[in-house]
Amino acid sequence: MNSSRNFLILIIFTLIFSASINPDALSDESSDVKKELQELKQMMKQMQNRIGDLEERNKVLEQQAKENEQPVEQKTIVVEDKETDLTVIEEPAQQTQSFLGKALNAFNPQISVIGTFAAAYYSQDEPFVFAENDPENTGVNVQEVEVGFQGVVDSFFRYDMFLSFSTEGVELEEAYGTTLFSLPLNSQFRIGRARAKFGRINQLHRHNQNFVTLPLPAAQFLGEHLNPTSIEANFLVPVPWYLELSASGGSPDVETPTFARDEDANDLGRLLYIFHVANFFEVSEALGVSLGGSFATGSNGTAAGERSNLYGIDFYAKYRPLRNNPYQEITLQSEFMYLDAQTPEETLENWGWYAQSVYRFAKRWNAGFRFGIIDTNTPVTEVEEGEDIEATNLFATIRNEEGEEEEAMLGLLGRTYRISPMLTFNPSEFSQIRLQYDYLSQDFAENQHAIFLQFQYAIGAHGAHPF
Amino acid sequence: MKSLKSIKLITITFVFISVFLFSQYSAAQVQIVTSVPDFAAIAQEIGGDKVEVVSLAKGYQNPHFVDAKPVFITRLNQADLLVYNGLELEIGWLPILITGARNSDILAGNSIGHYNASSSIKEKLEVHTGPIDRSMGDIHPGGNPHFMLDPRNAIPVARSIAARLIQIDTENASLYEENFKSFVNDLKLKISEWDSQLAPYKGTKVVTYHKLWAYFLKWANFEEFGTIEPKPGIPPTPSHVADLIRRMQGQNVKLIISANYYPQKTPQIIAQKTGADFLILPAMVEGRDGINTYFELFDAIVTEITSTLENKKGS
Repeated sequence: MNSSRNFLILIIFTLIFSASINPDALSDESSDVKKELQELKQMMKQMQNRIGDLEERNKVLEQQAKENEQPVEQKTIVVEDKETDLTVIEEPAQQTQSFLGKALNAFNPQISVIGTFAAAYYSQDEPFVFAENDPENTGVNVQEVEVGFQGVVDSFFRYDMFLSFSTEGVELEEAYGTTLFSLPLNSQFRIGRARAKFGRINQLHRHNQNFVTLPLPAAQFLGEHLNPTSIEANFLVPVPWYLELSASGGSPDVETPTFARDEDANDLGRLLYIFHVANFFEVSEALGVSLGGSFATGSNGTAAGERSNLYGIDFYAKYRPLRNNPYQEITLQSEFMYLDAQTPEETLENWGWYAQSVYRFAKRWNAGFRFGIIDTNTPVTEVEEGEDIEATNLFATIRNEEGEEEEAMLGLLGRTYRISPMLTFNPSEFSQIRLQYDYLSQDFAENQHAIFLQFQYAIGAHGAHPF
Repeated sequence: MKSLKSIKLITITFVFISVFLFSQYSAAQVQIVTSVPDFAAIAQEIGGDKVEVVSLAKGYQNPHFVDAKPVFITRLNQADLLVYNGLELEIGWLPILITGARNSDILAGNSIGHYNASSSIKEKLEVHTGPIDRSMGDIHPGGNPHFMLDPRNAIPVARSIAARLIQIDTENASLYEENFKSFVNDLKLKISEWDSQLAPYKGTKVVTYHKLWAYFLKWANFEEFGTIEPKPGIPPTPSHVADLIRRMQGQNVKLIISANYYPQKTPQIIAQKTGADFLILPAMVEGRDGINTYFELFDAIVTEITSTLENKKGS
């Protein structure tokens, strides 16, 4: 506004000035000039009035703008500030925060604590319990308290450690380093004690599993978990779908009767070797299917040189229609395992299968059903108390860390199957309440009924959700 | 010893198959993987045909809860540049994928190929400085992560993407520079357009489902009257809904907005009881069919809101 006003004044002054520098002309046609001067004066007056008006309006506008707090103008200023350096495409220094660990904030590992407890009722006084962390007795049981420490070591490795606490003590469930850098053949190594890549359920921690009890074949053939200390190589094969090949070799220091340290332990051929092929197909946006095969071979400790070969097939499908019902999904999971275990007496042939389906019908609700069976072609008979165990050769002797010997059965007495419906409620992502019924039928013992109410809490670092 | 032989045989076969299958192919284009489609759309504008962009999450999907499909690992394995939101939006699914990717280029937080977009955002909302715990809901300590719903934030993000592309693919630097400039110029024009569309409705009181629209509402000069979720990530409880309805009555709350991936029944009930209009909006690019660019996203959001408010005024 000011500039226009100045401009007007300037024009007027120039007009007056140009008129006054020509006095001769004035005298010649004085009357005309006088007339013109009068007109000019009139014009000036008019203009002055207009300027006054404009000033007035300007003031009002300024007042209004002040009252409006000028938000719109501020906005445009922000945008303009940012675009002033359009020519310089350079990132301003930024506060980098690595996703794999808040390394720059604190070098402490991410700590998580997950507690799983179960109130249980068993119809039998001495219940059949198949896995170490299944609820032990009628009453309230500590299933597992898992403490996890996870962090990035350096630009080459990350390190994950999980301790599993139960009433029986502490177990090193996992403690392994993973290579993070690019290696030839798209390989990645895990070195240390880790849940082996055998099938699907073995790679899932208890708190990520869908049922209170472990599926029968997993409990029978892999134990609570198959977690040898080993070197594992994983190859990501560049094909249109996801294909990973894994091979690992290590010590059979696992708590399962299937594998155990050989008497003659200093032999590479008698270690535990595990191979796994994992495929994942994105059939459609809503449907993903994974299909895998596993093979594990190692000594079983029944006598020097005797070995167990365990074969596995795993299938998993998840249907989640994102567009229509974003919080509903159906999963189907199934594994088949076949074991041939050499013993001095005979070769045992055992097999097992389970299938489970979980339907998430609302954001926080899951319902599921599972069927599991284990059976044998070579049933064994139960050993009477006091009988010489090694004479039967149907038992594996597991040497635990203290060097004590524990006995567990390698053979099966007969056919066992279990039916388990389940209902789960997750108040939030970090807590869970689960109700489950187990019906157990064995052709060598009475049927068993069990009801569980499981509670689970997670504190600390936000865990990842495996697919 | 027969078994030892078989192990050797298996190992050899294994290695042989691997080598055979690993025919390394090198792609000519720069491979960009983004966590959500907003970044994919911007990266595509800047990269043009010199880049191949893929977003892991879908635009109509809640970005907090994405399945970590193994096939994403193969995409990250080939990536030259990873662009993600940060502020823990993807914490439940992206870290394990990055670990599995075996790709040094995108791994470390300070490498060129690893871009956390939130690091470019100067004004973060709802940053928690005091003590926090999860009784407060599923909160993000570093701040509300939905900053891409303020279009002004796309400018620093686009600049960073361009800067990184220039470093990754120096040959096409001038193209990226050109594309960046024209993107920002177009966006600025659009922003002033949207600004003037929204200006008449300044101060409109809005109820949202999730604290997803905080940045949008601040930009639009709307007032967030309340959320249908009692706490972030916690589904509405009857008492909270009743309370919200009571508070809304007589307060002239005109709008309830929600993203299309949130439940719609409760907002509909609240809308009926209070006379507010319930609007389901796309919250990301590709959030609805036909929305394929960042511009189209805000065109849809702004137009739908203003036309609803216009109708309301008329009625």
